[in-house]
Amino acid sequence: MGKVTRRAFLASGSAGAVAIAGVASGGFGAMGLMAAEDGELTPEELDAVAAPMLLHVRDAAAGEIEILFEDQSVVVTDKTLVAKVLRAGK
Amino acid sequence: MSSHREAPSISKDPVADSTDTYAWVTANNTVTIITNYLPSEVPAGGPNFYEFGDDVLYEINIDNNGDGLPDISYQFSFTNQVANPETFLYNTGPIDSLDSPNWNRRQTYTVTRLNHATSATQVTNGVPCPPCSIGRRSTPNYGSLAAAAVKPLTGGGQVFAGQRADAFFVDLGSIFDLGTLRPFQGAHLIPVPGVSDEGIDTLRYANVHTIAIQVPISSLTRDGSTPSDVMAANAVIGVWAAASRVKGSVLDGMGGHSDAGPFVQVSRLGNPLFNEVIVPMGDKDRWNAVTPDQDAQFAKYVAQPELAKLLPVLYPGVFPNLAKYTKDRADLLAILMTGIPGGIVPGFQNYTGTTQADYLRLNVAVPPSSSPNRLGILGGDLAGFPNGRRLGDDIVAIELRAVAGATIPLVDPSFTPDAAASALEDGTFNPAERINLSTFPYIGVPHSGYRVPIGHGQAT
Repeated sequence: MGKVTRRAFLASGSAGAVAIAGVASGGFGAMGLMAAEDGELTPEELDAVAAPMLLHVRDAAAGEIEILFEDQSVVVTDKTLVAKVLRAGK
Repeated sequence: MSSHREAPSISKDPVADSTDTYAWVTANNTVTIITNYLPSEVPAGGPNFYEFGDDVLYEINIDNNGDGLPDISYQFSFTNQVANPETFLYNTGPIDSLDSPNWNRRQTYTVTRLNHATSATQVTNGVPCPPCSIGRRSTPNYGSLAAAAVKPLTGGGQVFAGQRADAFFVDLGSIFDLGTLRPFQGAHLIPVPGVSDEGIDTLRYANVHTIAIQVPISSLTRDGSTPSDVMAANAVIGVWAAASRVKGSVLDGMGGHSDAGPFVQVSRLGNPLFNEVIVPMGDKDRWNAVTPDQDAQFAKYVAQPELAKLLPVLYPGVFPNLAKYTKDRADLLAILMTGIPGGIVPGFQNYTGTTQADYLRLNVAVPPSSSPNRLGILGGDLAGFPNGRRLGDDIVAIELRAVAGATIPLVDPSFTPDAAASALEDGTFNPAERINLSTFPYIGVPHSGYRVPIGHGQAT
């Protein structure tokens, strides 16, 4: 498997899992969210999210999440993911 | 102040807080642009002396087609270096050169020129900032030390970034005490007998951090020309400064932080005093966050400025004509938001079109004045504010007079300004020692901490 860029990875449709991984690296690992539908991240994928990544639940009702990484901002809509994050934070 | 601590959010973030922006035509067909940050530095601010934010993106923006968006940007990014983290000292001996081993904490910076239509080019990198002016033992020969920090830019021009004396002058203590202008305080609503009418320049001994560039006119105009026709549209450029921070930041609890995401604007500055005294408290932070192309939303505050309503109240009977004037202020809308069209001021225009945008408008075809008038165009000097802005322009007097109605007849000949309108000022004057018009970056060397004790006048 070739080198995975963050942009390509986030655009691949597994944005929800990436967002969870990013949050985990920011200190939420104990929430047990790594067991996402797509399984664990590959080493190449982990390389792509090695630098800080921040997840901002912008609109919980709409399931809108903003993912901040490097100098980029990507907005994804995933109500299930928002629900998982919010419940894990309680 | 011009824009020192002018909005609630940015007043808590001084390294990103722009205080003044200047742009004027200089010798050899160049434009000099200066933008200052870190308001009201106390010169003796050790042991951690002032510096630019290494997590802030600073920009000087040029709009050369009147759409309120930048066409050319100069971006400045700073990096800190600490030689010896085992000492608390800024310097461990005299700093007599920019590579002095005695200098413990220093900054360098990179400048990128961004042509928004084509490309980004790094026009210099690794440029040293001079140290802050500490005192005669730590920073002897400060003038020559700082002069060595002036460096050329690839493609033409020169750059400087570092501490300087604040060139802005204003009597803050009086003005923000219910709009008192000391020379006229005898007419104020609330009399305070027995006090002096002399203005006090609050910034007399304050420093700032300056970013200055001097670049060819042709590098800024829409067609790459050096216009000579004052009435030509391509002779006018819009200039403003902006500062941005990374959108996401999380403290790690160990004294560090993790940042991620794009830069978002937290500060900007075009016309002096625009956000300070025209935009109301509830909109000031938003004004700092948007680009000039979105400024039509603030035009209502220019059309009916709060200060114009306050003056007749604070100075009863002094502004009867202003008090009765209820029309929208077409004069201020032109001066501040579209530029002055041809036919208003003989032989002059700085009109950028119908897009309402707050920025300095500089007609680069107007040559520098050999005898500048501190009142700029109000004083018959077409090379001064609001044609760009020079270091010595008396912004407080000019804008007070304009808001008080002195410029209404330019667009409404039926109005007669009150006699006081053409006399207003705060009693502070051009600080000659804070401006050096012979040598770039023109703004005076900073006050030294050793010579200016906190809370006192200048020591010897």
